Amino acid sequence: MALDAGTLQIGGESIESSWFLILAALLFSIGSVGILVRRNPLVILVCIELMLNAVNLTLVTFSRQLQNLDGQLFALMSLTVAAAEAVVGLGILVDIFKLRELEDVDDLSELKG
Amino acid sequence: MNWLPLVILLFPAVGGALLAGRGWRWPRPLTVIIGPGVVWLSFFAVLYGYWTDVNVDQTYWTWIRAGSFVLPVNLLLDHLSLFMCLVITGVGGLIVTYAVGYMEHESDASYARFFCYMDVFVFSMLLLVLAGNFVFLIVGWALVGLSSYLLIGFYYWRPAAVVAARKAFVMNVIGDVGMILGTFVVFLQFHATTYGNFGWVPKSDSGYLELAAFLFLVGAVAKSAQLPLHTWLPDAMEGPTPVSALIHAATMVTAGVYLVGRLHPIYDVAAVAHHTVAIVGAVTALFAATIAIVQVDIKRVLAYSTMSQIGYMFLAVGMGAYAAGFFHLLSHAFFKALLFMSAGNVIHAMDDEQDMRRYGGLWGQLRWTSPSFLIGSLALVGVFPLVGFFSKEFVLGAVFSKPDDPVSIWVWVVGFVTAVLTGFYTGRMWWVAFWGRPSETRPVEQPHEAPGVMLIPVLILALLSTAGGLVQTSALGFGTTLVEDYLKPVLGALAWPPSPIELIVTIATFAFGVLAFLGAYLMYVPRSERRAAFLDGVAEVAMAQPRPWSEQFPRLQALLEHKYYFDELYDFVFIRPLNWIASWGDRRIDRTVIDGSLTGVAALIEDGGAGLGALENGYFRSYVLVFVGGAIVAGLIVLWRAFT
Amino acid sequence: MISAIFLAAALIALGGAVGIVLFRNPIASVLSLVMVMLALSVLFLLLSAQFIFAVQVIVYAGAVMVLFLFVIALLGPIRELPTRRLPRQGFLAVIVAGGFAVLLVSMLGNLRYHAPANADLSVFGSVQNIAFGLFTTYLYPFELTSLLLLVAAVGAIYLSRERRS
Repeated sequence: MALDAGTLQIGGESIESSWFLILAALLFSIGSVGILVRRNPLVILVCIELMLNAVNLTLVTFSRQLQNLDGQLFALMSLTVAAAEAVVGLGILVDIFKLRELEDVDDLSELKG
Repeated sequence: MNWLPLVILLFPAVGGALLAGRGWRWPRPLTVIIGPGVVWLSFFAVLYGYWTDVNVDQTYWTWIRAGSFVLPVNLLLDHLSLFMCLVITGVGGLIVTYAVGYMEHESDASYARFFCYMDVFVFSMLLLVLAGNFVFLIVGWALVGLSSYLLIGFYYWRPAAVVAARKAFVMNVIGDVGMILGTFVVFLQFHATTYGNFGWVPKSDSGYLELAAFLFLVGAVAKSAQLPLHTWLPDAMEGPTPVSALIHAATMVTAGVYLVGRLHPIYDVAAVAHHTVAIVGAVTALFAATIAIVQVDIKRVLAYSTMSQIGYMFLAVGMGAYAAGFFHLLSHAFFKALLFMSAGNVIHAMDDEQDMRRYGGLWGQLRWTSPSFLIGSLALVGVFPLVGFFSKEFVLGAVFSKPDDPVSIWVWVVGFVTAVLTGFYTGRMWWVAFWGRPSETRPVEQPHEAPGVMLIPVLILALLSTAGGLVQTSALGFGTTLVEDYLKPVLGALAWPPSPIELIVTIATFAFGVLAFLGAYLMYVPRSERRAAFLDGVAEVAMAQPRPWSEQFPRLQALLEHKYYFDELYDFVFIRPLNWIASWGDRRIDRTVIDGSLTGVAALIEDGGAGLGALENGYFRSYVLVFVGGAIVAGLIVLWRAFT
Repeated sequence: MISAIFLAAALIALGGAVGIVLFRNPIASVLSLVMVMLALSVLFLLLSAQFIFAVQVIVYAGAVMVLFLFVIALLGPIRELPTRRLPRQGFLAVIVAGGFAVLLVSMLGNLRYHAPANADLSVFGSVQNIAFGLFTTYLYPFELTSLLLLVAAVGAIYLSRERRS
């Protein structure tokens, strides 16, 4: 069977699925830049959420392209996990904040050597 | 199975082992009993062997069987080895007993150490003479060298002693190499590991036979301190006096003579090596006698005298007069041990002073030691009727009489001149130390005689030196030949009859020797101190008080004092290049290459570790950076594999 | 028209993402994330993921982001001061992430698929379809996910317990 580029028929019009995928890739990369560059721990968590969202977009796109609902279900799980992780992460963050005046994630560098 | 050879060996071995294991914790009386005691026990075993006329080559066990190489553990107790055992255990026993008194000042542990080493030495020397094959000969040979090293360096806190011990050991090892190579040649060419009555020796001379004979000669020369491997013997006097008496006069240094005697079937065929033995002996005898003239340390005079007398023994066995050589070995053991022990008594009395020039006038003050020393000196000079006369004249007479040998007359001349010189240096030693007025620089005004345990062995040896000649009076042309007869089964009879003028030659040698002895009186005892007026009268006529030779012939004096510069020569030719090579090796190879590669590996790992450690700086952000970078690499790899 | 919707949503998403990274004020960053999420939810709708669209808006943008805002309010203002540690981090980050982006884009942009079955996809991502999958094939992960949420809740309670100092 021949392979061709993924075209989606949405609302009577054609659109390439690769556009969605490239958008997701860009969002993911921007999120990774944010993790690498920002030193406020909260903002780092926000960037992680961004990356998770980009992945969700990819999953849903593939689901639509391959006409298989597994992608959406996985995206649902991912979303749930992201929520749980945000809760716990913020809890830890609040703890550290209460312990000392944390402003810079570089201050947490005891595990060195 | 005859156990006697093993028993003879075992007593001193057990003694040495016990003293090594427990001796340092024992009360001293126990060491006194065991140390000398085992040597005497061995002596009684040897006497038993003599009375029962034992003659056995006993194999106890076969040690190695490797194809054609079969090495048994066998001990040979024939007349020659029993003769040697008598000397070793008898004279050795006397000396070890003497040492009980001489070494008294030592601590208990040090005392035990001394007797342990002495017992080990006696065991090693017995093994050497009792060995029935070349391998155990070498084992005994090497162990004797070890004992010598341990005993010379007994006072190990003295640098001079340590250096002397090392020098002795190194030169002995050179000899060991000769012995080992000789054994190899014997095995490879003649397929013999044991003596086995020497049936394997070919009847005609060959290159390999000469080679083996020369290699064994190297061993003999090193062990017996003959030229050119002689420089260790005078330095060996750093050891305690009993050590000098036992090892460096009576026994170890005679091992070379024993070797030539035992291997005489080889030397009888290998004529070149055989003559070399005699020439080496003769040259050494003369050489050592000249050096003895200028020595001021009483022990060094005796050391060079030993070197010279062993030269006589080599001369004898080198010319084929084996019995004569061994008789001189026996007689030398008597009077040289006597001389060393008497000298030990003098040193003891003089508060450890060994410079003869600071003695003087001891004759009246040491009532027992002085006559003993005189007997020893006269025996050394070869005065009738002491044992030295009979043995030395036996040697010289046999050499003189030997027909059909172009070398014999020359070595006899050397022997004759040496005998005269022997008289001279011995006389010098006697007059300077015991006669005349006491020196101003004498350390002790009223020297006391030695205690009983140190006197009795001396007196016994004095008796033996006086009467010992009676067993072999052949030098006079008639009388007893007990030594020669006893050794005949092993060494054979003297192959030529005495020459008609041998007796005249004998008397001439004796006369000139005595004249030299007396002449030394004139040279060395200043006129103001001479006690016999009539000799003064003779001197007035014969010569004026001579100026000391050291002023008349300064360069000759320097040559003799520096022992012909042999030590300087060896230092220049061998020691310095070796030191240079060793330090070069240390710098360039050991430190740079070996240490460098090891520390280099360590430094590499350390730096690598430090470098990798820099990655773990504790910062979350840099970890993520590496993480993402890694993800890219992983992605690329997956892509690449998918597309190829 | 679909392309136009896509373009608008994509631009908003990208702009929000850049805003997250660049805003100094953390509240601004969080609000940018909210904007991104809303844009993405529109895209989900375009892709016939109706249930996901709803969940994204209600749970993600509605609950999780509000939680973030509450934490920021709790902790007070935080400023990032310039630092000397890891000096080359920004430069390397752009390089690495840029490489990452190139890799991803080149991979994802060149995918090839089998021809689709051409079914009617109007109710593709409907609640019923999701429910079918969730309660039959994926029941096990579903239960585990709920367990995970329980664990997170327990964790949150534990983390916020009163400490006796």
